[in-house]
Amino acid sequence: MTANDNRLLIDIGSTYFKVSSKDHIEQHFRDFNKRILDDLMQKCGKTVQAFAPENIHICSSANGGLSSLIIGLTHSYSLKYATNIAYNAGINIIDSIIFQDIEDYSIPSDLVDVVIVVGGIDSNGNLFDTRLDTYLSKVNYSNVVYVGNATDAQALSARIERLTVLPNIIDNRLHIVEEHLKDYLTNLYQQDIEGKEDIKHLYDITGNQIYSTPYIVSQSLPSIHGKFSVTDPFILLDIGGATTDVHYSKDLISDNIVTEQGHDRIVFKKLGVYKSRQSLIFTAENNEYAYELLMHLKVTENIYNEHSEKATKILMQLAIFLVLCKMSHYRPMYVTLRLLTMNSIVFTGGITKVLTEDDIKDVVAFFYRKILNSDHKPATVLDTNYDIWTLGAATLVSQASHAAVDHAGSGVTTNSPGAVNSHSGAQEQSTCP
Amino acid sequence: MKVVTGVIGNDIHVVANRLMDLSLNARGYEVFNLGVNTYLEEFFDAAVETGADILLISSLNGEAEGWSREVKMLKAGYQSLDNLIMMIGGNLSVGSGNAEDIIPRYKNYGFDLVCHQVDLNTGLDMLDSYLQEHRPS
Ligand code: B12
Repeated sequence: MTANDNRLLIDIGSTYFKVSSKDHIEQHFRDFNKRILDDLMQKCGKTVQAFAPENIHICSSANGGLSSLIIGLTHSYSLKYATNIAYNAGINIIDSIIFQDIEDYSIPSDLVDVVIVVGGIDSNGNLFDTRLDTYLSKVNYSNVVYVGNATDAQALSARIERLTVLPNIIDNRLHIVEEHLKDYLTNLYQQDIEGKEDIKHLYDITGNQIYSTPYIVSQSLPSIHGKFSVTDPFILLDIGGATTDVHYSKDLISDNIVTEQGHDRIVFKKLGVYKSRQSLIFTAENNEYAYELLMHLKVTENIYNEHSEKATKILMQLAIFLVLCKMSHYRPMYVTLRLLTMNSIVFTGGITKVLTEDDIKDVVAFFYRKILNSDHKPATVLDTNYDIWTLGAATLVSQASHAAVDHAGSGVTTNSPGAVNSHSGAQEQSTCP
Repeated sequence: MKVVTGVIGNDIHVVANRLMDLSLNARGYEVFNLGVNTYLEEFFDAAVETGADILLISSLNGEAEGWSREVKMLKAGYQSLDNLIMMIGGNLSVGSGNAEDIIPRYKNYGFDLVCHQVDLNTGLDMLDSYLQEHRPS
């Protein structure tokens, strides 16, 4: 176990939570009739009590992340850049709208945590007429941020209430500028986690800031090679109860997004084996090869109605297949990964407790054969011990303590552990390794 | 004047693209160079984001015609590109080809200026006169 000596690391997911210390890791299904803290203390109270609050580190994906709606001018620039930044900040995207056609889009029925409006280089302007105001007036949202051309910023601020204006994410050479929007979204996510009633109580047991799980995972990627034999380029799949997260090496895309970091993230919001079970099945039913995969696995579609260990296993295998499909040219998304040049697939999360390496290899090989017509076999790596998550948490902890030392040295007062700023500070460090 | 330029499709011949960038800058254009290996949608999208006046596409390896057939249809989907000046140059056919056949064909595809195997400076002179005629400042 890699948790540093006397630290306890806790991850709260939408379906189960896990608790890991130096020589011990446990995982429990959540009881939704209880507050998270009570549930946790009932199931692992002894373990938790053995640690001082300053040695307990918690991350959470329990709320499924923030939802965003992006309104931009084009697929190749504004929408793509904003999508990239949002995913990397741990945010989910419920819809992307091309502004010129905004009147044709439906209005999201759920509350949107943040609307992102973007488009145009700074010297271009007058790009958003009142159709934007009309549309926004019908959307139920908590925050709205403008990261488009500077020319339009003032007029939009006057027209749209509570509009946050940040520097343009598209520079004058049409390149992406990530930091301002990324910090804003990461902080928003952070505030959301901290503000959630259920999560707030967890501060009773920790003296440290509670982070989002995808953020923790992304922290581990630069140093993943020290822990696993992973050959670049690779993808990391975290198939959860509600969503599936994919972190991938930048080398797998040929793209106009040029940034310094080596990895990006995408999330499939409705692809999971518990909370999102129904939509996973729906996706499978609409994939012409899923049926063949079931035959290959020697089951029928009746498995969808079963609630057994076997059914969970099959659903997880289906999830792997569907995610690979979604990232390949077969079902193009906002990015297509060059899966034939991928050398490793790392699996983390609950899936590693249910599927064996052979179960996984079987599906991966099926995908390559059926969809890509290839015998390519990327190495499969299973993170059965949650080492990736531990590594990410440990990276953050050591960054935070370095930052504290740096600050003390320069005479600058540090923020309290729960302060949002300490988070973006850690993030900046991570992008310039 | 803003110009979006680049080399279309899977074409990676980069030399002319670099020279084009330099020459356009020297002539006082504001240049947005998308480089080699650029797809048609990216050209149009870049024109929208920058508010470009001119789209100047290069093609060297023989892919030009296949892409050009899609120009009208794709461009029709954009509401703000009606005044975009469309120019293409390089090797516009597979093999040497005949400019007299090629030019009208490409004009039909939706280009205003067509330069088959015309050297860069001659082509840019053509652009200058076109602008003087159609967009006198
Ligand atoms: C160097 C070269 C390569 C290099 C490119 C290296 C690089 N990254 O740039 C390599 C070896 C990789 C290569 C590969 C290929 N090449 Co090659 N290549 C050439 C070569 C020898 C020189 C090109 C060059 O740089 N010229 C110097 C520049 C300055 O001139 P230019 O490109 O002609 O551009 C001038 C004008 O066309 C004009 N111009 C260009 N764009 C525009 C736009 C406008 C608006 C205007 C006004 C003017 C303009 O301005 C320039 C200066 O006057 C030419 C042959 C030749 N002598 O032209 C073949 C040539 C272009 N290649 C050719 C081919 C077929 C290929 C390959 C398909 C070969 C293969 N089978 O693999 C691949 C394609 C790779 C790909 N994906 O694109 C053919 C294209 C034939 C056609 N169109 O019918 C050519 C013409 C060779 C031939 N005669 O068959 N190639």
